[in-house]
Amino acid sequence: MSIQSKVFTKRGWWNWSGTWLLVVLAFLIVLPFLIKSGSLSSVIEMMIMSVAACGLNLMIGYSGMVNFGPAGLYAFGAYTTALLLVNTNMPFWFAMIAGPVMTAIAGIIIGWFCIRLTHIYFALLTLAFSQLIYTIVYKWYGFTGGDTGIVGIRVPDLLAPLNHYYYFTLVITFVSIGLMWIVVHSPFGKVVQAFRENPERTESIGVDIKRCRLKVFVLQSFFLGAAGSLYCGFNHNVFANYAHWLKGTEFILSCLLGGIYNFFGPIVGAAVYIFLEQLVISYTEYWPFILGIIIILLVMFLEGGLAGFISEKFHIIRMRYDDTQG
Amino acid sequence: MPIETLIRQTMSGLSMGMVIFMIAVGLCLIFGTVRVLNMAHGSMYMVGAFLCYWFNNVLFQHFTGSFWVVAIVAPLLVALVGLAVEMLLFRHIYSRDMIYQLILTFGVVLLIGDLCKIIWGVEYHLVSYPRFLDGAVNFLGITFPTYNIFLIITGVLVFVGLWVLMQHTRVGRIIRAITYDRDMVNALGVNVRRTYTVIFVLSCWLAGLGGVLTAPINVITLGIDAEILIECFIIVVIGGLGSMAGAFVGSIIFGLVNSFGILIAPRLAIGFSFLLMAFILIIRPWGLMGKPE
Amino acid sequence: MTILKVEGVTKSFEGLMAVNKVGFQIEEGELSSIIGCNGAGKTTLFDLLTGRLRLDAGRVLLKEEEISGLLPYQICRKGVGRSFQRTNIFPRLSTFDNVHVAIISWQREDGNMFHRSEKLLREETNEILESVELQNERHLMAGLLSHGDQRRLEVGIALGTHPNILLLDEPTAGMSPGESRKTVELIQRLGRERGLTILFIEHDMNVVFGISEKIRVMHQGRIIADGEPEKVRANEEVQKVYLAEEV
Repeated sequence: MSIQSKVFTKRGWWNWSGTWLLVVLAFLIVLPFLIKSGSLSSVIEMMIMSVAACGLNLMIGYSGMVNFGPAGLYAFGAYTTALLLVNTNMPFWFAMIAGPVMTAIAGIIIGWFCIRLTHIYFALLTLAFSQLIYTIVYKWYGFTGGDTGIVGIRVPDLLAPLNHYYYFTLVITFVSIGLMWIVVHSPFGKVVQAFRENPERTESIGVDIKRCRLKVFVLQSFFLGAAGSLYCGFNHNVFANYAHWLKGTEFILSCLLGGIYNFFGPIVGAAVYIFLEQLVISYTEYWPFILGIIIILLVMFLEGGLAGFISEKFHIIRMRYDDTQG
Repeated sequence: MPIETLIRQTMSGLSMGMVIFMIAVGLCLIFGTVRVLNMAHGSMYMVGAFLCYWFNNVLFQHFTGSFWVVAIVAPLLVALVGLAVEMLLFRHIYSRDMIYQLILTFGVVLLIGDLCKIIWGVEYHLVSYPRFLDGAVNFLGITFPTYNIFLIITGVLVFVGLWVLMQHTRVGRIIRAITYDRDMVNALGVNVRRTYTVIFVLSCWLAGLGGVLTAPINVITLGIDAEILIECFIIVVIGGLGSMAGAFVGSIIFGLVNSFGILIAPRLAIGFSFLLMAFILIIRPWGLMGKPE
Repeated sequence: MTILKVEGVTKSFEGLMAVNKVGFQIEEGELSSIIGCNGAGKTTLFDLLTGRLRLDAGRVLLKEEEISGLLPYQICRKGVGRSFQRTNIFPRLSTFDNVHVAIISWQREDGNMFHRSEKLLREETNEILESVELQNERHLMAGLLSHGDQRRLEVGIALGTHPNILLLDEPTAGMSPGESRKTVELIQRLGRERGLTILFIEHDMNVVFGISEKIRVMHQGRIIADGEPEKVRANEEVQKVYLAEEV
């Protein structure tokens, strides 16, 4: 029996979903010419949030592990980039890459401890580590600026205008999400989903599930850190509340709002979340109340999230979980 | 460290521990039976505290002795809120994935938090001690605030009361049985669903009581729900999710760690608690007195 | 050649002796069974052999190599496949994916993040699906299959890891007589065509005495009989303990 490892070819992608992709990409490319800078800012935030949410969904949706402290990792990336840019003469691109890479390394260490646990204990330990990071960031005034944060972070002149940073973010977002797409649709991705469905059976078919879980954790850390770094460059500041667990709930909500069992769910959820937040805040100060109601409606009535709902009703975004080309 | 400080910090730690025990034990009970980590628990505490302020300072301003009325009425009101929340929302999600349970309770946190903001605003509020508990007692040349001693006594009473409930009443026996084997209890014809409601309402009552009793010694404002919630998480982890005795021990440890931590390194005191939580989860996830699963 | 040697395997739970100094040998290509009342320790024995439980005492040797003490995934990689008493599949994955995952693991592609999973190892997966007669259901979500189909998928997943020895825990549990017959034929065919060594736990005596080359009887954690079907049937202790109402 031969192993037929067909290398991923571009041609295999060219079906209707490839066309959709082009349409969306084209739309995003011309977007700066269509809308005001205030709205463009929001779109940048949506893209950054979708990178974070997609990364987090590798854990929540694909492997069924609830990370209740993504904020710590997100802030780790943001602060790594910020500290490099402020305290050293490292070039911008280096600081940008260092963010996710260092977060991935932190993910190896934190993940190593966390994957030994399951269920609620796993979630609580991720929360504990996230709060530890928050405490360190908040209290270590000399290094991280404490509760005042770090402001005035330098960005290269090329990326200073909002439009330029928009395209920069667009490229990074596409590349990140593209990488996640590849991982999710790889053999590894399938094994991860099997783990979610039945961890014990996965182990009994010969998969080292500890290592599998650690890989997912590190991947998620990488992309959360990338989102943090992107935001650092966007906002030119970093603050301690990036690491607070409440920030983390934004990522989790984006995933749930869009639908955790759909690859595009977190992206849709991130966009909708930011859109709703900015809309509601412009009318009232009681955004938490509205958000609370949205959450209740979501959990009670819309289990698959928005993407799941659309997918069921209109069969537009198909769930690519099984082999329908066999 | 002078012996005086040692004793004083210990007493302070103990009273903090007792108070937080009253609040944390409810969370512990819910998790032990329903297996849901109720994030809205802190919100119930906050509502109790706000109600205390409201009745005391606003509604019954001129009615002395009102504190005791509040101490009875407010927790009952909070229990009612808890009943509504359980019947309308939580009971529908007991069989759902953990992430949905957590996030629904979080939604309730947001809802209640903003409702408190709408009703009582963002300012800080203070409640004064009830009259005959104000002041201090002198023991072996060391002064302790009377109220702290009251809290310690109340905490112990709550523990004893709960223990009696668990060991000697039918409801308590059912609760303990559910902790061991939920399906079996169901199969025996016990109305497990109704017991869940009872547990939930009881835990909200305790949280409300904790909110009222700590009102005089804490600031009452928005955000205390999240603060107390994290502290409860830490305690139930240390003590063991689902173990009442564990919550008692965990609360005392937490109170003492905090109380002495503040002396040693005030800035990092809260960090110690998270470190302890992470440490316990890594070494012994089921806590000091929980059952390994 | 002896493929599996079990020596003095013991396991107790809080004083209750679940498996008590169990020892036997299995030859390559053998189709044999383990029978016993409920609670005799059969599934616990399987758990011990596959690493799901840790042995209190004793050894398990696979082709002269000691596997006791290894983790379940390591034991699987050495060539031990197992199906479970209570259907243990991946409910929200398709039938195809259920087996595909096992094949991916077999070929050690579970760390492969870069190739498109659909293109990889498709023929191998279809081949297994055909063996267990589920190729028509391969696009269906596994959780929606009928009970009988799910039991066959159970076997299919275990086959996907291409084991040398296959442990089947009550493969016909809950099946109608017709389905049982089909499953039995499947087991025999697998043994013949793939040269698989198969050890199965069963309660259906027709199945057991129909196809086993050797039968081992467990009672209260011990093996009380081990040999060819006729010898076992004639064994007095077995008759007293287990077969009183049967046959």
